[in-house]
Amino acid sequence: MRVAVGDDAVILREGLARLLQEAGFEVVGVAADAEELLELVDRSEPDVAIVDIRMPPTHTDEGLRAAKAIREAHPAIGILVLSQHVHARYAIELLSSGTDGVGYLLKERVADLDELSASVRRVGQGGSVLDPAVVSQLVGRRRQADNPLEHLTDREREVLALMAEGRSNKAIAERLFVSEHTVEKHIKNIFGTLQLPHSPDDHRRVLAVVTYLDSE
Amino acid sequence: MRAKPFLLISAAIAAGIGAAWLAAHAGADRPTEPGPVLTLLVGTSLIGCGLASWRTRPDNRLGPVMVLTGFAWFAGLLSEATSAPLYTAGIAIEYVFVCGFIYIVLTFPSGQLRGTLDKAIIVIAISGSLGLQVAAMLFGSGSGLRCGGDCGHNLIQVVHDNGLALTLLSLQRLFGAMLTLTAVVLLTTRWVRASAPQRRELTWVVLAGDATLLALAFTVIDDLLGNPLSSTPAKIWFATLALVPIAVIATFARRRLARGSVAGLIVQLGVPTEPANLRAALARALGDPSLDLAFWFPAEARYVTADGRPVEVPAAGSGRRSTFVERDGTPIAMLLHDPALEHNSGLVESVCAAAGLALENERLQAELRARLVELNASRGRLVEATDAERRRIERDLHDGTQQRLVSIAMSLGLLESKLAPDQSDAAPIVREARTALTLALEELRELTQGIHPTLLVERGLPVALEELCRRAGLPAHLNVDLDVRLSDQVETAAYYFVSEALSNAVKHSHGNEVRIDVSYDGHTLTVEIADDGIGGAAIGPGSGLRGLADRVEALGGQFTLSSPPGRGTRLRAEIPCA
Repeated sequence: MRVAVGDDAVILREGLARLLQEAGFEVVGVAADAEELLELVDRSEPDVAIVDIRMPPTHTDEGLRAAKAIREAHPAIGILVLSQHVHARYAIELLSSGTDGVGYLLKERVADLDELSASVRRVGQGGSVLDPAVVSQLVGRRRQADNPLEHLTDREREVLALMAEGRSNKAIAERLFVSEHTVEKHIKNIFGTLQLPHSPDDHRRVLAVVTYLDSE
Repeated sequence: MRAKPFLLISAAIAAGIGAAWLAAHAGADRPTEPGPVLTLLVGTSLIGCGLASWRTRPDNRLGPVMVLTGFAWFAGLLSEATSAPLYTAGIAIEYVFVCGFIYIVLTFPSGQLRGTLDKAIIVIAISGSLGLQVAAMLFGSGSGLRCGGDCGHNLIQVVHDNGLALTLLSLQRLFGAMLTLTAVVLLTTRWVRASAPQRRELTWVVLAGDATLLALAFTVIDDLLGNPLSSTPAKIWFATLALVPIAVIATFARRRLARGSVAGLIVQLGVPTEPANLRAALARALGDPSLDLAFWFPAEARYVTADGRPVEVPAAGSGRRSTFVERDGTPIAMLLHDPALEHNSGLVESVCAAAGLALENERLQAELRARLVELNASRGRLVEATDAERRRIERDLHDGTQQRLVSIAMSLGLLESKLAPDQSDAAPIVREARTALTLALEELRELTQGIHPTLLVERGLPVALEELCRRAGLPAHLNVDLDVRLSDQVETAAYYFVSEALSNAVKHSHGNEVRIDVSYDGHTLTVEIADDGIGGAAIGPGSGLRGLADRVEALGGQFTLSSPPGRGTRLRAEIPCA
């Protein structure tokens, strides 16, 4: 899988490139700002672009804007946005422009190479990734007693969180050491309790779940 | 210059009797002659009013000029004398008094010639009334000098040419008519353009002056046409001329009356005054409704308004004048007033003296207010500096420590992947290090977000508040009615207000939920946070609430706390958005 990296800190973009090469990815190039990254992506059409959210010149949300620009120009290229902050708003903004092949991950997740390469691969294959910290903020948010979320069992809530992270039924089953069939049963319950329209597609349900979690 | 009243009055009486005798015994040979009654009336008016004015304001040239004009008037009657030297002299200076009259109306109230136009008019008036007259006398005599009957002998006639003399005299009258009408236009324009207090001062003299000038022009034109109206125009012109000195003296007298208002001022100042009242009282006493007061602020060595805002000393030519009030050599106040008061420095001085103590009191209060203004500004600067410092620290942590930690995390990831299968006892150690690092980064993240909320700068108040509520430890209902970006300071203040109030509610209220309402009406941002907890919160030193109040008040806002025991806590901030 071919990957492009955009980060304004040399130490991080070079480190990330090395990590990805180690994990078996082909790094097509690195970029120090959004403009450079867009050029790089145009030139080498990678499978995935990994981009730091905060880059020059304003050091605010350039990465997010670059991600949107790449999405428009190359809908097939997966985008993984790295952030040092848990900003649910940014994650939701990113997902709302289409959940196929997008991800929002905290930067420190690079410490776990297996997780990182799994995330990059998932995004590259058109799946979505939402950082567990963002999801737990959404799921763990304090709500009023009569909220439907309160009627979920602990296990169901775990499944809900993993769904929101963008994992497939198979991945959820592996993570929870249960059968895929059990996972499907939990999901059916969850959708019933929350009165969400059931979507068979692993990828598309992420937005439904996240939007639900953010709105209530 | 000092008036010698006794000598002058005696001389005036002698001149008056002489002139009246001449006027009474003159033949009705010239229609422009005044007759004894008008002779005395005009002369007495000029000399009498001149002396009175000279006496009360010795520095003003108008007094002596009026007296001289009066004598010139009487002297002109010598043209009726039969003795040749007196007749010659009388004819020569017959119209000199007209110059004096024009000088009076042009220079009132200062007595000083102002512009080139004024000076030009006086020069032309002198050359016309004296120069052309003497020139005509070099050629003409008898009827050549428009003398109808039994005329005296012209001693300075050089060549006998009555035709030329009459032409010169006609030229003189033509000049006179033009000059007179120019003066009417000039005076009237000046009156129209004057400020209200100036106009009040000019009105009587301009009225009398314009009437006299018009009557003079009429008389001259009538004369040029061969006197079809006989002596009527001249009689009107002399009668109006007698009014001019009276208008001058009446205006001056009214100023003296104004000084009487100083006494009223002193009585008024006996009772404690508000700054607005003091200003109004001074404006009344000075007769200048546009009067403004400014007070000396020694800390910054400049003048400030009663509510402490800086005031500039008006520049020359700005249409405002300033008078400085001092007490024992130290500045107290500055009066900003109409230029008209400049000619009445006596009144201004008396008013300033009378109001000195009240002004000093007022100055102390203004100084206090100015210090408050300064204090507020410095409080604002402190908050601003704190915010800038927080931004800097957040940026430093992000670009430095956080990045270094992330790069260590990368190295750990790399290390883990490189571990050979036979080094399996190292794997748990690496994992442990990774977990500790993740925790450290998490803590750092929390810290930097608390120091400076990046989301607030990037996405504005509603989004940042939404994020706050998402993280809150209580169900939080957020209702934001705001669709514009406000200034950094206002947004930051509102953000920290909600953030601090929320964490207070979570920690201390024991409530079940929090309501946050934010609204903006175009001028004021109102933020209200209410919980349903136990209440009883108070602003104490060192409490977070004190800091919140400081932040809001530094922006000129209002902070209110209502926290009755058992009935929840409600915090409200109203922040003006200038």
